[in-house]
Amino acid sequence: MRANSLWFRLIASSSVIAVVLLLSAAVLLNAIFVSALQRNFDLRLRAALDGVLANVELGADGKPQVQNQLADTRFSLPLSGWYWQISNGGDGSKILSSNSLLEQQLTVPADALKVRDKDGVAGFSLPDPQGKNLRAIEQDVKLFNDGKSYAFLVSGNFDELKSEITSFQTTLLAVLAALGLALLAGLLFQVRFTLQPLADMQHQLNDIRSGRGEFLSDNFPRELQPVADELNLVMQSNLEIVERSRMQVGNLAHALKTPISVLTNEASDSKSPLAAKVSEQIVVMREQVNLYLDRARRAVRAQNIGAATEVEPVLQALGRTLQRIHGDRQISITVDALPGLRFRGEKQDLEEMVGNLMDNACKWAKSRVLVRTYVVPATPDEARAWLSVAVDDDGVGIPEEKRQTALQRGRRLDETKPGSGLGMSIISETASIYGGDLTLADADLGGLRASLRLPMVN
Amino acid sequence: MRILVVEDDKDLNRQLVESLQQNGYVVDKAFDGEEGHFLGDTEPYDAIVLDLGLPVIDGVSVLSQWRRAGKKTPVLILTARDRWSDKVAGFDAGADDYVTKPFNMEEILARLRALVRRAAGHASNEMTCGPVTLDSANAKVVVSGKAVKLTSLEFRLLSYLMMHSGKVVSRTELVEHLYDQDFDRDSNTIEVFVGRLRKKLGVDVLQTIRGMGYTMSETGHAG
Repeated sequence: MRANSLWFRLIASSSVIAVVLLLSAAVLLNAIFVSALQRNFDLRLRAALDGVLANVELGADGKPQVQNQLADTRFSLPLSGWYWQISNGGDGSKILSSNSLLEQQLTVPADALKVRDKDGVAGFSLPDPQGKNLRAIEQDVKLFNDGKSYAFLVSGNFDELKSEITSFQTTLLAVLAALGLALLAGLLFQVRFTLQPLADMQHQLNDIRSGRGEFLSDNFPRELQPVADELNLVMQSNLEIVERSRMQVGNLAHALKTPISVLTNEASDSKSPLAAKVSEQIVVMREQVNLYLDRARRAVRAQNIGAATEVEPVLQALGRTLQRIHGDRQISITVDALPGLRFRGEKQDLEEMVGNLMDNACKWAKSRVLVRTYVVPATPDEARAWLSVAVDDDGVGIPEEKRQTALQRGRRLDETKPGSGLGMSIISETASIYGGDLTLADADLGGLRASLRLPMVN
Repeated sequence: MRILVVEDDKDLNRQLVESLQQNGYVVDKAFDGEEGHFLGDTEPYDAIVLDLGLPVIDGVSVLSQWRRAGKKTPVLILTARDRWSDKVAGFDAGADDYVTKPFNMEEILARLRALVRRAAGHASNEMTCGPVTLDSANAKVVVSGKAVKLTSLEFRLLSYLMMHSGKVVSRTELVEHLYDQDFDRDSNTIEVFVGRLRKKLGVDVLQTIRGMGYTMSETGHAG
C-alpha cells in the first residue's frame, strides 16, 4: 500500500494513537497495581512496627531493650530482608536491631523522611547491604520519659512480591497486546467499510473510461454523492459539447459542400479563363475543406471518453451498404464477425476505418471480399485486450515493397480508381489515435489483407 | 424519362434540372421534403435525385415513407454527408445509389442512366430490339448497322419503349414519363410522334395494340 493513500493515512494514524493509548494504559495500570501492593505491604510493616513498639522498654542501663523477640521468624533469619532497627533520633546511630540484621545498620536515604502520614509514619524504599529491594517504614517515637526521641524502622523484603508483579505485568501485556490486535483488525474492517464507496466510485469511473458504463450511480454516501453528481454533470456536458460540435461540423460540411458543388457545375459549363481558374481553385478548396473537416471531426472525437461500439452490427451494415454501392459488379461480400465483440471507441471511427478498407477492397476485388474479426491474445506485458478486423480481397494486392508507401500520409498508390479521399494513411492515423495500427499482408484469397488492430472492451 | 430532383439549394437545383433536361430527361423539381414526398408519391418517375438535408422533412424520412408505401422508383441520394453511417442509413432506408457533394455532373448522369436501366432489368447501356440498337450513354440509335437521327422527344419515346420492350405501354404512361407535370396532356400528340418514329426507324418493331397502347417486339420486323 502506497504511503500517500487514505488507507495508509487512516491505518497509520489510528495505529499510532492506539499504541500510545495502550502503552499509557499499561504504565498506569502497572503503577496502580504496584502502589496497591505497596500500601498492603506497608500495612503489614505497620503491624510489625506496632509489635516492636509494644515489646520495647528502657533497660537498667538507660538504653531501650526488647523483651520478647517478634513472633515472625523472618526477623530472626539472618539477612532475610525483614529487619527492625531502633536508632537514636538525633545522630541516627543504631541502638538495637533484629537478629536478622546482624551487625549491620540500615541507613535511611536522604529526603525519605520528609513526607509522613498523620501518625508520623514515613514509607520509603531502600536497598539492603545484599542489594535486596527493601520497603521500610520509620516512625520517630518519644517512648520513655527520658525526653529522647528514638527512630523506629521496620523493613520487609519487597522482592518477595516481584514474581507477583511480573506475573501481573505479563498478563497485562498479553491482554493489552490482544486488545491492540483486535483494535487493528477492527480498524482494518472499519477503514475498508468506510472507504468502500470510494473504491466503488473508482471502479465505476474505470467502467466509464473503458466503455462499460455511462454515469456514476446515485447511491453514494451523503458526503460523496455531490462529487458523483458533479462528475456526472461534467460528463453529461462533455457529451453534449461533443454532440453539438459534431453537429456543427456536419452543418459546416453541408454548408460548404453544396456551394462548392454549385461552383463546380457552373464553372464546368463555361469555357472562359475565369471558369478554368475557378475550377482549378475549387479543387484546392475541396481538398482543404475535406482535410479540415476531417481534423475537426477527429478533434471532437478525441474529447469523448468511454465510448464502446459493438463491432458485428457495424460490419454487417457496411457489408449490406457496400453490396448495394458495388451492386453492378457482382462482388460477393462475406462478413464473418464474432458476435458480442466490442471496440473501445467511437462507432463513427470504426465505421470510417472499416468502411474505407472494405470500399477499397471492393474496388480492387475481382469477385470476393471477406471480412473477419479476431480476438488478439493479450501479451503478458500488456494489460489491454485487442481485437482485429481483417479485410481480404481477391484482387491484385500490393507488392510488399510498396505497402509502406501506401500507409504514408497523402499517398494513393493508384489514382485511377476513384476514392472517397481518405487513403490508407488516414485509416492508419485514426487507428493509432486508439493505440492500434493498420497492417497490410497477403490475403488467402490472393489479394490484399488489411488488418486493423484496435482496443477491445473486455 | 421523367426525373424528380429534390434539392433545397436553389442554384444546385437549377443546375441539376438544366443538365438533366439537356440530356433528354423530363424533370420536375422540389425544394423541400414535403413537396418532394408529395410529388414522388403521386407522379410516376423513372428515377429520383434526393438530397438528405432537406427542410420540413429530411431526405431519409421521405425515402422511408416512399418505400413503406411500396414505391419502387430508383432513388439516387445526393448529399454532403459523406460518413459511412449516413450511407448505411441511406441505403437501409431504400436508396439505390449514393453520391456525395461536391460531385461531377457527368457522374450523376451516368449513375442515373444505370439506375433507370437496372430498374427496367437491363444490364448494359445498349438495348436491342431486333435490328434496332439504342445506346443510352451516347444517345445513339442504330438500325441494321445505320445510324438514325432522332429528335430529343423521339429518342426519349424510343428509349422508354425499348426499356419496357415486350410489355404494353399505354399512351397515358408515355405522356406521364415524357412530359413534365405542367404539360397539357393530350395523348393524341403521342400518336403523331409514334408515327414519325416508325417512319424514321423503317422497321416494324413498334406495334399498336388497339385500346391499350404500344409495344415493342422483334417478332414482326417484316417491312
